[in-house]
Amino acid sequence: MKFKSLFLIALLLNISILFSQSSEYLIPKDAVTVFSINNISLLQKVSVDELITYDFMEEVHQELFDGSTTGKTLKDLGLDFNQKLNVFYGKGLKNEISGFSFGVKSKEQLFNVFDDFEILHKDFHGAQVYGSFFNNLIIRNESALLIRVEPTMEFIDQVTDSIWYSRGNESPFDYVQQEDLTDDGEIMDEQIYDENNEQLAFPEASDDPNVKNYYELRDSVQQAIQLEQLDVILHELIEKKENLTTSDLRFGEQIQHDSEGIFYMDNSRNLEKANGLWYFQTILPTLYQDIQELYTGNVILGDMFLRDNSVEFVLDARYGEKLGSIYEQMNDSRFDKNVLKYIPESSTGYFTYNINLRKAYEKAYDVVMPILMDEKNAQIAMNVLTIELLNEYINKDALFGTYKGSMFGYFNGIKKIKTKKIEFFYNEETFEYGEREAEAEEEMPIFTLGISIDRDDIPEKIMKHLGRLTSKIKNMGDYWRMDNAILDAAPIYLINKNGLLILTNDEDLAVNHSNGYGKEKLAKINVKKAKKSGFMYGAVDISETLNRFPTDILNPRQNEMIQSLKGKSGKLELTSSETTKSHTSFNITYAYEGKESSAKHLLDLINTIYVVSK
Amino acid sequence: MPKLIFILFLTLFSVSSCIEIVDDLSLKSDGSGTFKYSINLSSSKIKVNSILALDSIDGKRVPSIEEIKQKIQQFVKTLDSQNGLSNVKVEENYTDFIFKFQCDFTSVLTLQEGLKQSIVILSKEKSLTQLEHNWLTWDGNKLVRSIPEITGKKINELNDSDIELLRKGTYTSITRFDKAVEKCENQAAQLSKSKMAVMVKTDTYRLKENQDILENTIYLTTSKN
Repeated sequence: MKFKSLFLIALLLNISILFSQSSEYLIPKDAVTVFSINNISLLQKVSVDELITYDFMEEVHQELFDGSTTGKTLKDLGLDFNQKLNVFYGKGLKNEISGFSFGVKSKEQLFNVFDDFEILHKDFHGAQVYGSFFNNLIIRNESALLIRVEPTMEFIDQVTDSIWYSRGNESPFDYVQQEDLTDDGEIMDEQIYDENNEQLAFPEASDDPNVKNYYELRDSVQQAIQLEQLDVILHELIEKKENLTTSDLRFGEQIQHDSEGIFYMDNSRNLEKANGLWYFQTILPTLYQDIQELYTGNVILGDMFLRDNSVEFVLDARYGEKLGSIYEQMNDSRFDKNVLKYIPESSTGYFTYNINLRKAYEKAYDVVMPILMDEKNAQIAMNVLTIELLNEYINKDALFGTYKGSMFGYFNGIKKIKTKKIEFFYNEETFEYGEREAEAEEEMPIFTLGISIDRDDIPEKIMKHLGRLTSKIKNMGDYWRMDNAILDAAPIYLINKNGLLILTNDEDLAVNHSNGYGKEKLAKINVKKAKKSGFMYGAVDISETLNRFPTDILNPRQNEMIQSLKGKSGKLELTSSETTKSHTSFNITYAYEGKESSAKHLLDLINTIYVVSK
Repeated sequence: MPKLIFILFLTLFSVSSCIEIVDDLSLKSDGSGTFKYSINLSSSKIKVNSILALDSIDGKRVPSIEEIKQKIQQFVKTLDSQNGLSNVKVEENYTDFIFKFQCDFTSVLTLQEGLKQSIVILSKEKSLTQLEHNWLTWDGNKLVRSIPEITGKKINELNDSDIELLRKGTYTSITRFDKAVEKCENQAAQLSKSKMAVMVKTDTYRLKENQDILENTIYLTTSKN
């Protein structure tokens, strides 16, 4: 079952104040990401009958129901909506697990839908275990767990190769002919691809039917590992009663919250299982251990609240002391007031990001260098030397004076911008035609990005020298213009004034507002909010953004959905708290005007995003 | 209709209606001549570039520039091998998105057959109904011409919401002769000062509304100028 669909199931089944302590005790402790939902409250606001009419439900139903259960919907699943629905995912070195745990009201209804599951254990320490291909269903009392355990390809290959070569076999891949690898650069169309695929045969059976070829062996290994891993999970979860709720106290505490939805992601375990770090794990184990230590306690916990006319997400990013000390220094930065006069009130979406890169660098240097210095490895030693020398020789005042770390940006809708086009002109005598360059106008989304800067002389030097190399870069006095910089057609403007370096495709900003928007700048109330927020602030007026959305690239159905959302959408706001050594909090609020419940409003939005992105 | 135009119509043109097309036919008295077809998308450069940056649009895959180039070369090769056609050339300008196709032909019939055959070969279809009709007829003194049916069909598929862009798009049909033109039936047609060329110009909006707007019957004088 695809995780995407599981996530959709979770989203749609939303929300309740009540919950019973059952389904959450069936979340495996290897789950790294969990989205948990209280169901009751949603169903008070949006009935299952209404829920199943949403477009995204088609995909959920396709995932849940096969041909024999055509026409069934979520409400035929026999779910107990008094229990939470917990969707989880986790990736380990040996396997990937995904699934969801939920309450069961009617086993009969459940098995009408899951009709291809066969019983594996009638009584496994008080639970019943069922299986269907890679999916397993575990029912304990009134709760159930639908889980898929998939061994990782790397682990399957490792075990298969080990067995294959220990049996004295040679490489199974030697038969590949050189001509198969040549590519004549031809584009293969679908028809040719299908025709070619018809000729592709499964790997041939070995001469001796009792001896498995490589691929047969691989399939057997995959199945054996899958069963073994499932067994391990079952023993932990059912026999030893070890689950995420009891093994990770942070999650255990979070799941007690009265919020309508709960989010959990353990970044430290994500790092542990990251495939890209295998080099560190095997070649530099002590360094890896030190990095792992740095990431200890790195977890994101969140709540989702459905309030009157708003949906609120409260996220808490927690980390260990060492990493926290870097974050704390990084976010110890004064808000640059200058940026606010460059954001117009007419902007439909903007953000400010305020960090102190120099302090972060210095703290990171203090924290990370001792770790690297302890490593007795020639390559690391050389890297340490290089970093130390760079640290001595590089002019950090110039570097961090050019990019201090703070930035801002905004979207200002679609505007017509000036471009050049080639037009044909005709000789009246003969109608022979030639080409000439002419002015043209095209619509383009208008974006502005800026950074705080102390050393404005440095970008000025760069632009001056680049301007000598190409006529496309011109000094226009208050700003620089780079012709054909976007999509080889539209100009980009660089404003280097008032302690800011601003890059924009908005000619109006460059030509008329290079010292800021004056009276047209962001309203005081919004300025106050941005200043008050921690290192980050963002606001999007979804309704206005939709009004300025380039609808000509959408099909009629997508257009219809966008039209339906106009006038009933709200505002999205992101704020952050001050960063301490242990955590940073984020708050995302989506507020709207309208009579419908926040649950229905949220589902309408999810459905629109689903339809538009389909 | 050349494959080049096929590709451009199916991908770029369908999403970028601010387009300039010139369809230029030079006809000698013996029926041979040169056919030129130019597509100019330079006024929609941003739109075309941003579409080319996508994997797909409206559920249809967007080809890469390399793929377009390859298909164009394939088309030129196929067309060049057709009886009665020679000097097949395509100029491709991927900075301003201007594409110019031209070929010499021994008769308008070989031109039309050659183009049809090439499209059928490259499209891997046995026949294409849009190609059944002939848009050029020449009897030595009278030329009856319209636009290829497939061009009209593609223009008809353009979105009505893009009326402003459709009005900006142009389709110019030019016919040149080695003799003076006596008269032509299309009221909108212009005669060059030399009287040896006829031009009919319209915008893509009017062409969408009336597919016959470019239809013309041109009569030549009997004596050579």
